[in-house]
Amino acid sequence: MNTFFLFELVTPATSIKAIIPELIIAIAGIVVMLYDSYFPKKRGVTGAIALVGIALSAVFLLAMWVNDSPASSWNGMIAKDSLRLNFSLVFLLVSAMTVLISSVWAERETIPVGEYHALLLFATFGMMMMSAGNDLVIIFLGLETLSIATYVMAGLRKGDLRSNESAMKYFILGSFASAFLLYGMALTYGATGSTNLTTIAETFTKPDAHVNFPALLLVGGAMMIIGFGFKIAMAPFHVWTPDVYEGAPTPVTGFMAAGPKAAAFASFLRVFVLGFPLVAGIQVSGYLHQSWVAVIAILAIFTMSIGNVAAIMQTNVKRMLAYSSIAHAGYALVGFVGAGMAKTDQARDVAIASVAFYLLSYAVTNLGAFAIITLLSQKNDRRMEFDDYNGIGFKSPALSFTLSLFMLSLLGLPLTAGFLGKVLVFRPALEAGNSLLTILVVAAVVNTAISAYYYLRLIVVMFFRERTSTWVQPKVPFALTAALIIAVIGVLYLGIAGDGIIDRFSHQPATSVERVER
Amino acid sequence: MDYIFENLLTVLILLPVAGAALTLAYHMVTKQEEQIKWVTLGFTLLNFLVSLVLFSKSAVVGASGFSFEQNVPWIRSINTNYHIGVDGLSFWLVILTTFIMPIAVLSSWNAVEKRKTAFYVFLLLLESAMIGVFVSLDLLVFYLFFEASLVPMFFLIGIWGGDNRIYAAVKFFVFTMFGSLLMLAAIIALYYIYADQTGLGGTFDLTVILTALKNGSLSFSKISQAGTLLFWAFAIAFMIKVPVFPLHTWLPDAHTEAPTAGSVILAAVLLKMGTYGLMRFNFTLFPDQSREFAMVFIILAIIGIIYGALVAMVQPDVKRLVAYSSVAHMGFVILGMFSFTELGMQGALYQMLNHGVTTGALFLLVGFIYERRHTRAITEFGGIANVMPIYATIFIITTMASIGLPFLNGFVGEFLIMVGMFQSQVLAVTATVNWNYVSAMLAGTGVIFAAVYMLWMAQRVFFGKVTNAKNKRLVDLSWREIGLMLPLLALMVYMGVFPKPFLKRSDEVIKSIQARIMQQAGGTIEKTELKPQSPAEGEK
Repeated sequence: MNTFFLFELVTPATSIKAIIPELIIAIAGIVVMLYDSYFPKKRGVTGAIALVGIALSAVFLLAMWVNDSPASSWNGMIAKDSLRLNFSLVFLLVSAMTVLISSVWAERETIPVGEYHALLLFATFGMMMMSAGNDLVIIFLGLETLSIATYVMAGLRKGDLRSNESAMKYFILGSFASAFLLYGMALTYGATGSTNLTTIAETFTKPDAHVNFPALLLVGGAMMIIGFGFKIAMAPFHVWTPDVYEGAPTPVTGFMAAGPKAAAFASFLRVFVLGFPLVAGIQVSGYLHQSWVAVIAILAIFTMSIGNVAAIMQTNVKRMLAYSSIAHAGYALVGFVGAGMAKTDQARDVAIASVAFYLLSYAVTNLGAFAIITLLSQKNDRRMEFDDYNGIGFKSPALSFTLSLFMLSLLGLPLTAGFLGKVLVFRPALEAGNSLLTILVVAAVVNTAISAYYYLRLIVVMFFRERTSTWVQPKVPFALTAALIIAVIGVLYLGIAGDGIIDRFSHQPATSVERVER
Repeated sequence: MDYIFENLLTVLILLPVAGAALTLAYHMVTKQEEQIKWVTLGFTLLNFLVSLVLFSKSAVVGASGFSFEQNVPWIRSINTNYHIGVDGLSFWLVILTTFIMPIAVLSSWNAVEKRKTAFYVFLLLLESAMIGVFVSLDLLVFYLFFEASLVPMFFLIGIWGGDNRIYAAVKFFVFTMFGSLLMLAAIIALYYIYADQTGLGGTFDLTVILTALKNGSLSFSKISQAGTLLFWAFAIAFMIKVPVFPLHTWLPDAHTEAPTAGSVILAAVLLKMGTYGLMRFNFTLFPDQSREFAMVFIILAIIGIIYGALVAMVQPDVKRLVAYSSVAHMGFVILGMFSFTELGMQGALYQMLNHGVTTGALFLLVGFIYERRHTRAITEFGGIANVMPIYATIFIITTMASIGLPFLNGFVGEFLIMVGMFQSQVLAVTATVNWNYVSAMLAGTGVIFAAVYMLWMAQRVFFGKVTNAKNKRLVDLSWREIGLMLPLLALMVYMGVFPKPFLKRSDEVIKSIQARIMQQAGGTIEKTELKPQSPAEGEK
């Protein structure tokens, strides 16, 4: 019996099958690293390996996405639900497009391309773990894997002072935020006695189960809001974003705005919406739920307002997009709060799916924009000011109109991905019928109108002004063309026929956590 | 043919898009821009001809009063459908759109010199969006077209506009977008109120929502302030578009800076989206609120009429003068609509068409002289009638139509609106003052002002001696220019003499909207009293 007991202890409920997509990415990362150290001269190959790894991972993920019903494995540490699968698909798309976009940059500047691809894959692995983790520890590990990889990626342009500044700032502030997050997790563990989110959520459902120190839970929740808030660039924890985004190499900026932000959203959703639900009759859940919904709703208003107002004043395109990404985090938070306030589990799942859809549409659009900006910026990101785009509209019409399409999608004009994303995230917030949430939606609407000014500005600059200096037609390499085609098709497909994706995103329950009576 | 007939409205929407795609492809293959105007003209004319099928007597009118209806699911998860159809309210506006487009294309024949392909592509895309606005019966689809119409116009003003084009284009876009986003929030809220009260799941379908409103399963009075907030969210979007007085500031800039074709379309069609939206959505969805706040609109309309006229009077620039006259004319339309009398509302609808034809024509005429002189300042001209007699004749006729001379179209519209306002019961009637009369009379002064500024401008531009040497050798209108003015002139006369066929189309719709708004006054009270013993409840 004793041996049997031991056997039980050392053999957790392993299920390799449940984490195959993540494993493939990790292995691909290792392969890239090894290959790079043996054949450092062959620069094109590592990107191809990365793409193959991503594609393979996507195949397995899609199989899970299409067939499987929600479950959890690894003693409840890894969830297999649509929250994870939807977000993981977004991450894979983001990193595939990043590989394609960065080809142009890797060619232009002598950066260690093998290292870069390995780091990108590890970051992707981290993101996928963040969305898969149903346990605070897994989420933290995923976050750290992601963060450390991105710190290095931000500083890849070693000779450039701005890139160094970017990496340094990101690293110091990021570590600080991670510490907050970890401390919050520890306090939550202290209050509930578990790091497993399902167990934590259950703590509230059983009338007899008690929370050790309710105040600990509130403080823990607040600290986690700070930690996640940093990662998604929620005001007032957004101050790092513009400097880091501006200094990092452009493809890395595009990646950071799309990928890690979405990953933090996935964990954020899982911890707060699924982990801290409102349960009727349990006082502490009421306090906790009320506090976090109110805090995030108010911070969401700040986030979008600060992002938009600051974006108006920028003269640098990359910096403008950095602030715009802050604003977009604010819009996504509208759906987040809507999910938190949902009256039924089904409504909550739809709201979570709409946040995923929003981040997908933002990722596609934003990466498309960054692809063009990378191409036009030339070596060491020299051409980054609005003035550099003066009158290029009819000199390079294809590129300019594509960039305009992305700007209009970021603005949320109908028939583009951004529009449907906005409608979907505003919807759950209005459905809740709560006055704070209605104010939130109105704030988001007003902010969208403000954002018209700076998105249009790029179009204005490109088309309505005349170019005075010379314009050298940029050569568009194949990989970048592929990324652009994906982005354009994505923007239009999600905007016009996004029905199928939305359906798929929300057709399964977002979580394996048992249904809770409200 | 049957296929086209069944999908007529979709064909009308997609034909210009097809034209745009073809134009682009043609440009890419041949790398030349000269023939593109012909292609565009062909497509717009074709679209006009196709739109004439709308007159067909074999059109089936559906249960909700719309013909040529189509209803195809678009995004199932939020239950939005591509639901389109046309009724008396939208009928003439669709025709007006398809009618004005070939004229706009012809007016840009020589005026557009740079980036021709892009210009005509945007014109065609604009046409699609405009038709879409008038035929959508799904709120989200309506919003989609409403916003989509912004982008081509933004480019038209921004690329081919005057010196101050960037300011004007951005102002135009941001103003309209602000309003329409409020409307979007209201549309989504409407979706949930519907879902909440009927228990059927949300919908964006206007006809479905209206049915629920009529049979009482949906009522905004159940939620405090909901009706008022939604009403204003819709209203502000449309008031910006019309534009109603304090929100009009984008209009003079946009009109002045836009290229001629852009101004013509802006005046003829884009502004009508606002008044159409108020009638189609505010009046039908929120009849109580429409009545309740009618006074606000009437006051703003009168201010708009008088203010627009006074500001027009002092404009040194002909185009800006016409733009301000637009503000005044649209004030009349708003006044007629909010009189809530059959005559007033008919007059408003008629005046919408009149304004499209007349002001469109005025912008064309201003464009002609601008092409020749590259200035629009009134002081630069004088005695033009001596050198360009045909031009002067056409201009004077259009001016007369604009100021409402009998036997020309403007007269019919303004007359109906005034009579409607006199009959109106919207405003308070006290022992000493009938405020309806007062507002009608105040609006009447606008007609006099209109005569003053238009005629004064005509006098300064056309009569007297040719004082400016540059004007001595001006060439009179070409055959193309005369040709594109003739249909407009014919319409001005025809609509002034035979308004009947136009009014007949919209008669039924207007009656039902008007009845709904005015009956509801007694209706709500009656309903709350009767509700406990209503037979339907008893049977259950």
